[in-house]
Amino acid sequence: MLKLADYARVINKCSHCGYCQAACPVYLEDLLESHVARARLNLINAALIEKTIPVTPRVKEIINRCLLCTNCTRTCSSKVPCDEIITAARIELSKEAGAVDSLKKFVMRKVLNQRGLAGVLSKAGAVAQKINITSMEMPTLAAVPFDRQVSGTIEPRGERRARVAYFVGCGTNFLFPDTGNAVVKVLAYNGVEVVIPSGIVCCGIPALAEGDLESAQESVRINIEILAGLDVDAIVTDCTSCGMAFKTKVSKVFPDDDPMQEKIKPVSDKFWEATDFLAHLGLVAQPGELKGRYTYHEPCHRGWSPTVDDAPRRLLASIPGAELTEMEEPGRCCGAAGTFYLEHRELAEKIRSHKLKDIRETGAEKVVTQCPVCRFYLEIQLKDQKVVHPLGYLAGAYGL
Amino acid sequence: MKGLSRDLGQILDRNRVLTDPEDLLAYTNDATHYFKRSMPDAVVLPNTTEEVSRVMEYASKHRIPVTPRGAGSGLSGACTPVHGGIVMDMKRMNRILEIDERNMTAAVEAGVVLSRFHRTVEKMGLFYPPDPQSMSVCTLGGNVATRAGGPRGVKYGTTGNYVLGLEIVLPDGTVINSGGKFVKQTVGYDITRLMTGSEGTLGVITRINLRLIALPPEQKTIVVSCESPEQAAEIVSEIIARGTVPSMLEYLGQAAVGLMNSIISPPLTVDAGAYLLIEVDGTRTQVDYDTEVITNLCREMQPRAVRVIEDEKEAASYWKARSNLYPLLMTLMERVITEDLTVPRNMLPQMVRMVQEVSAATGVGIGMGGHAGDGNIHPTILQFQTSPELDEKSQIAIAELLKKGLELGGTISGEHGIGIHKSEYVAWELGEAQIELMKRIKKAFDPLNIMNPGKIWPEGGE
Repeated sequence: MLKLADYARVINKCSHCGYCQAACPVYLEDLLESHVARARLNLINAALIEKTIPVTPRVKEIINRCLLCTNCTRTCSSKVPCDEIITAARIELSKEAGAVDSLKKFVMRKVLNQRGLAGVLSKAGAVAQKINITSMEMPTLAAVPFDRQVSGTIEPRGERRARVAYFVGCGTNFLFPDTGNAVVKVLAYNGVEVVIPSGIVCCGIPALAEGDLESAQESVRINIEILAGLDVDAIVTDCTSCGMAFKTKVSKVFPDDDPMQEKIKPVSDKFWEATDFLAHLGLVAQPGELKGRYTYHEPCHRGWSPTVDDAPRRLLASIPGAELTEMEEPGRCCGAAGTFYLEHRELAEKIRSHKLKDIRETGAEKVVTQCPVCRFYLEIQLKDQKVVHPLGYLAGAYGL
Repeated sequence: MKGLSRDLGQILDRNRVLTDPEDLLAYTNDATHYFKRSMPDAVVLPNTTEEVSRVMEYASKHRIPVTPRGAGSGLSGACTPVHGGIVMDMKRMNRILEIDERNMTAAVEAGVVLSRFHRTVEKMGLFYPPDPQSMSVCTLGGNVATRAGGPRGVKYGTTGNYVLGLEIVLPDGTVINSGGKFVKQTVGYDITRLMTGSEGTLGVITRINLRLIALPPEQKTIVVSCESPEQAAEIVSEIIARGTVPSMLEYLGQAAVGLMNSIISPPLTVDAGAYLLIEVDGTRTQVDYDTEVITNLCREMQPRAVRVIEDEKEAASYWKARSNLYPLLMTLMERVITEDLTVPRNMLPQMVRMVQEVSAATGVGIGMGGHAGDGNIHPTILQFQTSPELDEKSQIAIAELLKKGLELGGTISGEHGIGIHKSEYVAWELGEAQIELMKRIKKAFDPLNIMNPGKIWPEGGE
């Protein structure tokens, strides 16, 4: 479970090799050793586990100046789950009165965890204004969220090859319903029956990033109750972060002996990123010609499946005329990380600047990426390139 | 230290001076996890040689210890403070100043990360061989200061073989330039060589001139599964004796390969007593010839299996796994102490036997994995669980290893340096007269003993 005490042993598995310096987007900008996983772990150990130093504002600042991109965890050969330890530290810190501010809690509980309620969107807009976020940085919400556009079961074209549930994340639902439409159409076009379960809420990742364990538990409970009852071969998501949540994090918001675990396991086992799922299943319909050059940005939250990073490349390679130009470092973070970019504006922009440069250097007209937050955060700075989900790109080639 | 933060804040801007304990904590360790840690009073992050010079001038005036630091990826405690003072974090000085293709040299600032330098020169068809396994993060300044090396040492030597010149800030703030872009020089003492491996005890290295060579166009990786550690060592000795020089020649114990299999793709069968991981490089003809010579020679000695890895991705996974061996060990262990004993290469079979004997006699687990090709096989103390008794036994085992290694004609450190890790054993190798000479050199450079005091020899060189 994401309780700091449970990590007391594994935190000492850090060899201190420092290889995380090469992986941490924050460290690579700040070039301060206190801002890299090796030091963060030492600090959390000292301040929150062994309690040899007091919990100062600087301690909190260092713990909060982390994208939770998981790059350190994926790089760590000692297999220290650095991002989980930082999440657990934030949960620990949030126990102090008022640590997670009430406005954020409101967003978690009322907006992300009750997305079906009427008036939610206007509330979100009001919240945005209240915390003084300019329209440039706050994504424009879709006029009609995806869950009001498509619902129920979508029949496959031709013979049914699989029956899947489509977990629609908040990014797709509120910001990019076009991705949702593409996922449904492309899957159905390739013989997959798609069930869109109703009542789904946020995956829980944003709440965990705030150290708000209760909100995360609430959302996981709601989702798991719905998903566990479905008769499907797989559950797909278009969002790498939602996938990571269900594959590797949701079981950790409850104690190991919690009865929820029995329901979580089979749901978790069935989770696939939609592109990855389709690449494994194979396309039955040959895409039409779609001339153009694209480049692919690998979202950071890709470590939960060994093939999720390569699936878009494999799928899009089947489109005649579509030419992939790799950017310098496809796996480099874009800096957005949920709401991190709002609270660490200058740092996030610096991290993004490398990505934008790499993208522009490819000369590609389109950037393909699975993560809706990466998409939003990159797109607001790209005038000449459009950012789309890989299945959005594929839908275009199918003429769907 | 009163006024330190204010004074340093006037030399550099305030946000490049760290004095909060939460920040200082990050500078108390290097890549080791078992030394006693002690806090500096401040960390400075200079951008220029001039700033380094002014900090040194200030430190001299107030007799404040200064410990230069690169990425903190060393294994000897060379870059951590033992008497407080200032840690000089060099990573902001990270410009590649020049790559002179016609002259095959480069000039860099000390904080340039090695792997970035590798990528940059290799894009131009040039090659900088030194490859300490922390290359994804370690800095060239740190490499020079510790005379660092890696697997390619067997064919290409270590950092010391590539340093042509240095810009050095002396403890009183004076800036000097030794060597230069030329490939040879006979003008007075070789200060460049003296600084190389000086572990921050003589001055601060701010700029480096490096020699480059032509990038070998082809590589091939060979894996040999051996019956026993002894057989592996004999094969290594034989390869060296026959005059074939692989670009890398690594010894790996069975347990090491078991761990590396989480990266090696597809995984290697873990049934042999020990493994050799070999790379040959050069032109296509050379690579084919060397591959044939080495595989034939290996087969003559009848190991379990000899395999040439044709797939480049698969080969790369072996070398990636190799560079991650140290952190991989921590998945099984609570403590890993990497020793750096290096023996003449013909003594490898004796060394492998010796290490096993010391392990048996002391009851301390000692693994082996490393640069067999240059006699640097890194006996590594493996502690599944830490305890004061095991610590004591480990210290006895380390002393035994080093003593017996010296008897085999070896050295206590091939590439990691002394720092605080092995200072108590330095006298065994160098003898008192040589240590006294070194201390006089130290005094000539650093009369106030402010440069990284407490390193190389226990009493700090006074």
